[in-house]
Amino acid sequence: MKNKTIALLGNPNVGKTSLFNRITKLNQKVGNYPGITVEKREGTAKKGDKEYKVIDLPGTYTLFPNSLDEEVVFNTLTNKSVNGAPDLVVVVSEPSTINRGIVLYQQVRESGLPAIFVLNMMDEIEDKGIQINHAGLESYLKTTVFKTNARTGEGVDNLIQNFDIQAGPYFNSLPLPVDYQQPLDEAKKIFPLETEYRTWQYLAQENIKVLSEEENNKLSAIRSKYDINIQQLQKAEAILRQEKINNDLKPILQKKENKKLSITEKIDNILIHPVYGYIIFFGLLFLIFQAIYTWSGPLMDGVDELFASLGQSAAALLPEGPLADLMVNGVIAGIGGIVIFLPQIIILFLFISLMEETGYMSRVVFLMDRWLKPFGLNGKSVIPLMSGVACAIPAVMSARNIENPKERLLTMLVTPFMTCSARLPIYVVIIGLVIPDTDFLGFNVQGIVLFAMYILGIVAALFSALILNKIIKSVRNSYLIFELPTYKMPDWKNVLNTVWEKSSSFLFGAGKIILAISIILWVLGNFGPNDKFSEPEKYIVQENPHFTEEQVADEISAYKTEYSYLGYLGRGIEPAIRPLGYDWKIGIGLIASFAAREVFVGTVAVVYSLGEDLDIEDDEQKQTLFTRMKSEINRNTGQPTYNLASGISLLLFYAFAMQCMATIGVVKRETGSWKWTLIQAGFMTGLAYIAALIAYQLLK
Amino acid sequence: MQNKISLDKLKKGEKAIIHSFEKDDLPAKFYELGFTPGTAIQIKHKAPLHGPICINIIQDNTLVAIRKSEASLILTNKI
Repeated sequence: MKNKTIALLGNPNVGKTSLFNRITKLNQKVGNYPGITVEKREGTAKKGDKEYKVIDLPGTYTLFPNSLDEEVVFNTLTNKSVNGAPDLVVVVSEPSTINRGIVLYQQVRESGLPAIFVLNMMDEIEDKGIQINHAGLESYLKTTVFKTNARTGEGVDNLIQNFDIQAGPYFNSLPLPVDYQQPLDEAKKIFPLETEYRTWQYLAQENIKVLSEEENNKLSAIRSKYDINIQQLQKAEAILRQEKINNDLKPILQKKENKKLSITEKIDNILIHPVYGYIIFFGLLFLIFQAIYTWSGPLMDGVDELFASLGQSAAALLPEGPLADLMVNGVIAGIGGIVIFLPQIIILFLFISLMEETGYMSRVVFLMDRWLKPFGLNGKSVIPLMSGVACAIPAVMSARNIENPKERLLTMLVTPFMTCSARLPIYVVIIGLVIPDTDFLGFNVQGIVLFAMYILGIVAALFSALILNKIIKSVRNSYLIFELPTYKMPDWKNVLNTVWEKSSSFLFGAGKIILAISIILWVLGNFGPNDKFSEPEKYIVQENPHFTEEQVADEISAYKTEYSYLGYLGRGIEPAIRPLGYDWKIGIGLIASFAAREVFVGTVAVVYSLGEDLDIEDDEQKQTLFTRMKSEINRNTGQPTYNLASGISLLLFYAFAMQCMATIGVVKRETGSWKWTLIQAGFMTGLAYIAALIAYQLLK
Repeated sequence: MQNKISLDKLKKGEKAIIHSFEKDDLPAKFYELGFTPGTAIQIKHKAPLHGPICINIIQDNTLVAIRKSEASLILTNKI
């Protein structure tokens, strides 16, 4: 027999994710990335030897979708395929906003699905000053009402024991608005088998995914015939339903003063204070940056050492030859290059999930909306933009809870400008090469430049948003509405689970691509089309007859690189990058970086034949690379390859160019459009080229 | 009867009852989060320089934030 499917549904901030974690005992898999409960999350619950499939749906206030997140809810509940729709919907609510939970519950029942009702956060009921007549509520909802406290696990087992419950018959609890009876009657003819309310839901939405194009067209014909729009219908329902529920609840529910709310108000008086609020927020941002850069240092060193010793033992174990080289310099170094970012990503997501859990994130949206709106963004864009400092991949995905399609698109398009952690090693190397290590007004100049690169990323993101805002036409008016939840202590299980989820999806999602690229690069760098690659000694001796044997041996690996496939590629693009002040060796680095920026340092190390597992954090090795790179002469100009002009040019190029396949992939998936993906890649890379060109030509 | 005043004109701490909407194109989400005629609200916080306004929907015990531009479409009677 097939396992039953249970869907958890509820408003945001009712502790649904905690409950899901409890029910599944963390036995779950997640489609992908952030926004707290964004993608469809699935898990299993066990009752004896019986198993249930449990789906955690994104938080929503109504079944009518306003954002992509909420569309997932409607599509899951109305899924018509076999075994598609859930066998039981568990509507999760909490005492103080029970009326909103009932809105959802009624919508579910009226559309013909069996449901039970859960009152979570029962521990807070007293503080919130609420009394509920349990039996009265059960008879009103015509279902069993369960009480849980997901933080302690209270009541969760009892809930699981009842997953086989048979929901009693349900009749429409809401007479639909009479004004729209005629269009509704017509719509019913299209869906003779559906409940009246389900038909109403169809009528009150556009472009419904679960319906055929023909059905959608018929519905929109009805709407235009009666000159009604979906917002009108949804509003009419919302008003009627809320009025009715509030009246019906009067004998069941008693409310006194909500202590939680008054505590929250006191905290808010400081945290969203017009002055202190900003000071605290920017102080917190500063703390996060500090944490990312200082706390992650020892961890990154540890990862580095681990992979270096792993490479050494692999080299010792495997017989010498191309296979060992591929393993050590391709695979192990490639994986090491991914894992090294993990500490930073973990720390960033630790902070972000703490901010989400405590309720502070909504306050950030409140504080920042005013400043982002002029750029065509939304207060909610803060989360993607901030996450973009770690990695654009999860950041782009966290734009999902922005309702307005245009603001969401803009946010996704400009987020990759933020200085992600992959740019950092490149900045460190180039700044170390071309910026003098002196003090200016007591600050280290190299540090100032690095800081300026971060500011540049933010400025580039905002100004591109401004430009794109003028170009992209908006379908809907921009608006912002969001709830500020009461402050809560974070549920540590949730925090750790979120951090684990994000980090592992980075590791395995982005990691796959980076690993593949490392291997391809290794192949391209280790094979060549002709005997200039396979027999370099012959040519070196021919070109430099006076070379001693030792000098010839030194020259071999650089010569091989030049005549490998990678070398040919680098020389192939040289004409295009010469005006920017680069030579073919940088060209190789650039090509490699288009796969992923972090490959640059490793590739340059290979080109300068220093071995790929070079450690930038290790001072001695860094000096070796620096000395080698500093002495490098660009044969086109006869000047050092890395001088101030070409260095600044490179910094600007890396700051702006879209050089990350994984991000391109995510943007394509999230925008659902190759057009915007290509526009973004073109816009960013074009901007990078022009900025680098101007910088080089002015400075040289 | 008192004069109607749009929500954005209310000062921090003031209470009012939502009367009606200036325009019909407020998204349904506003209604779903509790901005329906007859609802009592209180202004809790205002972000500086015409930023968002944080409103307590009294009967729901919730705090909801909206922009000034939408707040100006919501007409209320002060209490």
